[in-house]
Order: sequence, then structure tokens, then C-alpha cells
Amino acid sequence: MSEQTPYEPRIVAFLCKWCSSAGSDLAGVSRIQYPANATPITVACSGGVSPQYILSALRKGADGVLVSGCHIGDCHYMEGNMHARRKLYLVKELLEFAGVEPERFRMSWVSAAEGAKFAQVVRDFVEDLRPLGPQDKLNAERP
Amino acid sequence: MIDLNALRTQAADILETGEVGAVIGWRRGSRGMAAEPVAIVAPEEAASLVWDPTCFHNLALYLVEERKKPAQRQVHGGKPIAIVAKGCDARAVTVLLQENHFGRDDVYVIGVSCEGTGVLDERKLAQVLPGVEPDGAAFDGDNFVFATSEGERRVPAREAMMDRCLECRNAHPKLNNVVFGEETPRDFDAPFAALKRFEQRPAAERWQFWQRQFERCIRCFACRSVCPMCYCDECVVDSINLVVTPETTAAEKADRVRWIERSASRADNIGYHMTRALHLAGRCVDCGECERVCPVNIPLRLLNNKMEREAREAFGYEPGASIDLPALVASFRDDDPGQFIR
Amino acid sequence: MEALLDKNRLKDWIAALDGWEAYAPARQDGIWSYQPAGDNPELNHPNTPQPPKGFAFPQREIFFKFEQVKGEAPRLTAVSPAPTFRVVFGVRPCDGRAVPRMDRVFSDHVDDGYYQARRDGLAYVGLACNTPPSRHCFCQSVGGSPVSTDGLDVLLTDLGERYFVAAVTDTGKALMQAAGALLAKPGAAERKEVARLHAAAVAQPQRGVNDAAAAPAKLKAGFDSPLWEELARACIGCGICTFLCPTCHCFDINDEVTGTVPLKGSRVRTWDSCQFPDFTMHSSGHNPRDTLGSRLRQRVSHKFRYFHENFGMHQCTGCGRCVSECPVGIDIVRVVNEIAGSV
Repeated sequence: MSEQTPYEPRIVAFLCKWCSSAGSDLAGVSRIQYPANATPITVACSGGVSPQYILSALRKGADGVLVSGCHIGDCHYMEGNMHARRKLYLVKELLEFAGVEPERFRMSWVSAAEGAKFAQVVRDFVEDLRPLGPQDKLNAERP
Repeated sequence: MIDLNALRTQAADILETGEVGAVIGWRRGSRGMAAEPVAIVAPEEAASLVWDPTCFHNLALYLVEERKKPAQRQVHGGKPIAIVAKGCDARAVTVLLQENHFGRDDVYVIGVSCEGTGVLDERKLAQVLPGVEPDGAAFDGDNFVFATSEGERRVPAREAMMDRCLECRNAHPKLNNVVFGEETPRDFDAPFAALKRFEQRPAAERWQFWQRQFERCIRCFACRSVCPMCYCDECVVDSINLVVTPETTAAEKADRVRWIERSASRADNIGYHMTRALHLAGRCVDCGECERVCPVNIPLRLLNNKMEREAREAFGYEPGASIDLPALVASFRDDDPGQFIR
Repeated sequence: MEALLDKNRLKDWIAALDGWEAYAPARQDGIWSYQPAGDNPELNHPNTPQPPKGFAFPQREIFFKFEQVKGEAPRLTAVSPAPTFRVVFGVRPCDGRAVPRMDRVFSDHVDDGYYQARRDGLAYVGLACNTPPSRHCFCQSVGGSPVSTDGLDVLLTDLGERYFVAAVTDTGKALMQAAGALLAKPGAAERKEVARLHAAAVAQPQRGVNDAAAAPAKLKAGFDSPLWEELARACIGCGICTFLCPTCHCFDINDEVTGTVPLKGSRVRTWDSCQFPDFTMHSSGHNPRDTLGSRLRQRVSHKFRYFHENFGMHQCTGCGRCVSECPVGIDIVRVVNEIAGSV
């Protein structure tokens, strides 16, 4: 990376269709300013986010991965986010165990009404990732 | 002490009465002193069965013959299959039952207790008895006894046992139709002892460690092939889709996601092993076979142990403890840890 | 050209090999493997679980890189191995004998430029097996010997405090000349000792294939034997036997895409194994070798029949790795003997 272009963390954000994706839309229509580092991918439910998605994003060079769903109790599919919480806890633990910075994986619950919270989650994530620098551990393209 | 003759008689009896169609056990092999897996179908073959410290294989694998084909379909007309199972192997059968791979009546578990010992680690033996290649191994209380060209050599079992056996949680098969050997108190390493030591190391060191281990992987897939739980029809690391039929369209084939490339490169090896560890979370019974068979000595048990310990501590879940448990990641509790979520 | 080298001067010989990268077996993380020669390499290894075949035939070889901007013609960038001079120390004679076999495969009909580019700069310094490194060795029954020089450039024989160093090829002579004064002239006593050790090594009892010369015809006659399935009953279908084999050379070629806008990636060759279920899988879903027995037959017949039919020699060099490393004890010697004995 040349010195002219400062490092900007690249985030892949898996957002559930019912809450977090709607929350990100609200942030947009409310004209809340937040960094453009996150590439959103809408999924039906956070419970459908396979650990493979997270590993794959990191393999393809993401600096951080965000998974965001409905608050506990609000899942459109009743309990999808409960499954996500358990499954992705294991992913978080495994990454940390292998020595990958745990800050690179983040989860949040953002409802359709929480545009401001979504913006804050992304803002915080970008700021926490910045000091870590580019993610080169799981990145297949590492020179 | 297990009476081998009683075990053989039991095997012969259930074959004779037709209670089972086959017995999967061990017999003498031709690879040095090591036992080899065998499926016997005639009562007279029971005399070839053995039980000794080289019976390391987890035979539950053969209940899942060749990717999800239940063994009984292949062998003898729908009759149950008997399997000789150590404590860990019996836990593996429990998980397969939990996952409805077959019914409880389809399998007859001949339990063998490892009692106060466990099975042999050939790599350790090469260090303990350098240059000695024994012709046979036997249990004897706290010792392994090896037959060598220079006579008998006794080695304290603790020194040459698999790490998995030192940390074994249940050496006595809980799931069984019949069991040989006693439930003996054991005094080796505490479960997860090696894992706890490893976790003390700083993150950067852990990463250096795993990077070195995974760069060595040659992707022979022995870990996957030997695992009774790795029975998926199609695996993320395969470069083609194994479940194609003549009806599968070209578009479907082309659209298959290549999650992990075939190359034995660092990123792809890590992707493979992490995926496997996650897929085994709550299912791995720590039989340790993946680690034993790895030709480049990758400490795969550490990864699986980590997932097992998390399942236990965070979710109160113990793999292979009961047939009635739902799968770890197909269930949840209201008080599952969520503090890490913003 | 023959000479004596003090064992503790091996490191000095390696240091004197100007322009050569040296490799030797080292025990790391509990296993032996070929590593860049450290400060003081000692050739006291059993045979390494992995043979040195990866030096000329690495598990992953990039053929070329590609990139295509939508609507434009694809741009290809050739990738070829950088020319290097590498010398591998401590190669056992069975692995030495694998070298001419691999050379044949990669030069027959078509010269494989990638293999050739790596092979051209490679030299092998072998180590005679005064005592068999493993009970699974069966080199003699397949025409080899614990002191064979086939495929090697230099053969070392362990004389206790010293190595007896014998050049086999011109490259070997050049390597020895680089050692200069490190090498001493051997006397009649040392030559006699080498002859005695070699004779003793050959006389060591070894297990083996009963009649290797008859194997091709016997395996052909036993092609449809039901024994194949029986012998493969415990097989778990992993790739250990083939990936650790010094002469297995099957590969797969894939395009590894690393980006889509613009489309870019590499065309990559990787090892493949006839023991994997997808090896012969057709795109229709039909798999002509869909049983473990048929795959075992393929592996064993390639070693002891097809290769012989094509090149007039057995492919198997009797290193014993597929026997010692098999997770369930499938034993190629037993397989050949049982099939041959059944017809």
C-alpha cells in the first residue's frame, strides 16, 4: 500500500433483512454520517450466517467481519438470532484461540428503528480496526 | 483385565444366533505389531479378534461406510452390526445415534474398557524405546508389555500412551449392549490440560504456532477420512461436487461456491482446519484419531478440544453423553453468553 | 571419485558449496522432514515421512496468472520456477531410485517445463542404509538395494566417525571438488570397510514382494479378483499412501480465482490422489472407480503393472511409507502377494 493512500479497514457486514439491514437503511435516510468502510450483505437471518461466510470473508481479505441481527426476542423467525449467538460465539473463540485478533469479528443487535446505533456500531468497528492494520493472517492474497 | 476369549465367544455367539450380521473389531495386521480393523461375518472368524494397546482405531467410522451409507445396507440383510468400542468409540456411536445416522437397534455395542490405561502412541514409543520395533504389544496393569527380538520390554503405559488417553474423560464405554473390563479409577492428566497450557501463551505466539502447523498440512485429508463425524456427502474442500447426478445442470455445477481451494497453501489449509473444527463442535468426542493419523503431526486435538471445552463451559454441553441431546448448534439456552455482542 | 569426510566437517562441505542451497532432514514439531540445512546437520534420520519428491514436483505449482477486464481480451502472465541450485542431503537409496522414475514420467511424450526447470538445478546426496531405517522397508524385493546409487549424485556411507563419499554423476564430482581439502583420500582399509558394510546391509533380512518380475502378469490376471474389495475393506480413502509415495505423481489443475472485478487469478497444479472419491468422478455423476477396492487396485496396479508395461520397470521403490503411514495398516506387500498368490 502506497503512503499516499492511508489504510482504511474493509469490513464485510452480514445484516439480517428484517432488523439490521432496515436499521442501516434508516441510518441512510436519516442522513446520519458514518464511515463507508462496510460492505453490507443482506441475509435472511443472522441465524443463517454460516461460520464459513466469516472465514471466507477473512480469506478474501476483509479486515473485519460484522454480523448484525435482531435483538434477542425480536427475531422474525423467533429464534434464529439465538442460534447465531451460540454458533458465532464459537467462531469468535476459535479465531482468538488461533491467535487472530478477536477485534476482527464483531456482532451486534440492531433493530429497524436503530439507525443511529447502526452508524455507531460501524463507526466503533472502524476505529477499533484501524490500529490493527491490514488483516494478513487469513488473507489468501498476503504477499 | 479383559478376557479376550470371553470377547471372542460373545462375538461368535451373536453371529451364531443371527442377532447381528457382522462384528467390526480388530485382528492382527501385517504392519508391524499394529492391529487392523476387520469386519467378521462368520462365528469361526471370531477367533481372529484381538484386543491390545494397538487397537487405536475408532471403529465407529465403519458404521458410516463410505459417506453416509449405513454399513448394514452393505453387509448381510438388514441385521444389526456389532462394533467393538472403547470409551471414546462408544461416545462416537452415541453422537451418530444422536444425529439419527441409524437407530439404536441397528447397532450392537461390544464395549471394551481401557480400564487404567489407554492405547499406544507409536510416535512416543519410538522415543521411549528408540530403535526397537516390537512384534507385539499387550496390556498388563499399569504397563504395556512389548514382545521384541531381545525378549519382553515393559514400559509404564503412562509414558507411551496417546495424549488423548491421558486426558480421557470416560475410558469405560457408557453406551453398550455388553461390556468387558472394569470401570477403573484413573489418575492421569486432567481433561483439557494441554489446552489450558496452550491458552496461557500470548496471542502472537499462538498465531506463530498455528501458522507453522498449518503450513505443513499436505491436505491428504486423512483427518477427515478417519473421522466418524466427517460423513458429509460433500465437503467444502472438494474441488468438485460429489453429489452430482445426471440431472444436475451445468449451471448448478458451475455455481458451486469454491469456499476453499485445493491448494495446500497457508490460507486454504487454515480455512480447511478451522471449518472442520467448527463443524465438529459439539460432535467431536476426542477419540484423537485425526491427530494420530496425521502424517505431518499437526496437533489437531488442540483445536477440537478448544471447541469441546467451550461447549462444556459456555453451553453446558457434553458431546457423546446422551442419545437424547439435540445437536450443540441446533439448540440454545436463553442464558447463552451474549456479552460479546454490542 | 571417492573420498573420506569427517562427520563434523559435513557443515563445512555444505558451506563450501557456493551457489547451492542445501537441505537435510531435521526433526521439527515431532517429525522428520527436509529443511534448509542448519548449522550442524547430522544425517542420523530414519526415512522422512515425506519423500524429497516435492523439490522437483511441489504440491502446488502456479502455471500462469490471468486477468480480464470485462469486454477486453484476457491477459496471461507466464510463471516459471526461478532457476536455483539445490542439493538435498541424506536421501535414502529408495528415494534416489524414485528420481529416474519421476524423470521418465515428466519427460515422456511431453517435457514438463515446470518439473524440468526445478529438476535441472537439483542434486541428491544419498545416504546408504547400513541398517534398515524401518521394518517396513522392502527395497530389495523390487530390484533396489539399501546401497543403491540409482538417481543419486553422491552416495555417503556412514563409517562411524567419517563418511565414505562416492561420486555417482558429474554433478556429484563437482560437489565433491567444491569440498577441496575437507576430503581425504581413502585407503584400502576404508574401501574394504565400505564393501563389508554394503554387503552386510544387503544381507539384512527384509520383507518383500514374493516375485516382482511376475507381478505385472499376475496383477493382470487378478484384475477381477474379489480380493481387491476384501483387502480394501478397512481403507478410509485418504491420500496418505499416494501423497507420501516418492513416485506418485498424479495431479489436478484448477483455476483459483482471487477477484472478479476485474476477473483475475491463477491456473494452479496441485497433487491429486487416485484414492480420493472425486479423482475419477465424471461430470455426469458417474464414477467408474466408485469402490475402495477399485481404487486400491488402481494404486497397486500402477506401481506393479501399468508402469512396468509403459516403462519396463516397477514404479514402487520399496520405501515402505504407504505401509508404515497407513492409518489402518493396508500393506502393499501383502496386497501384491495375496493377489499374485490367488491367480
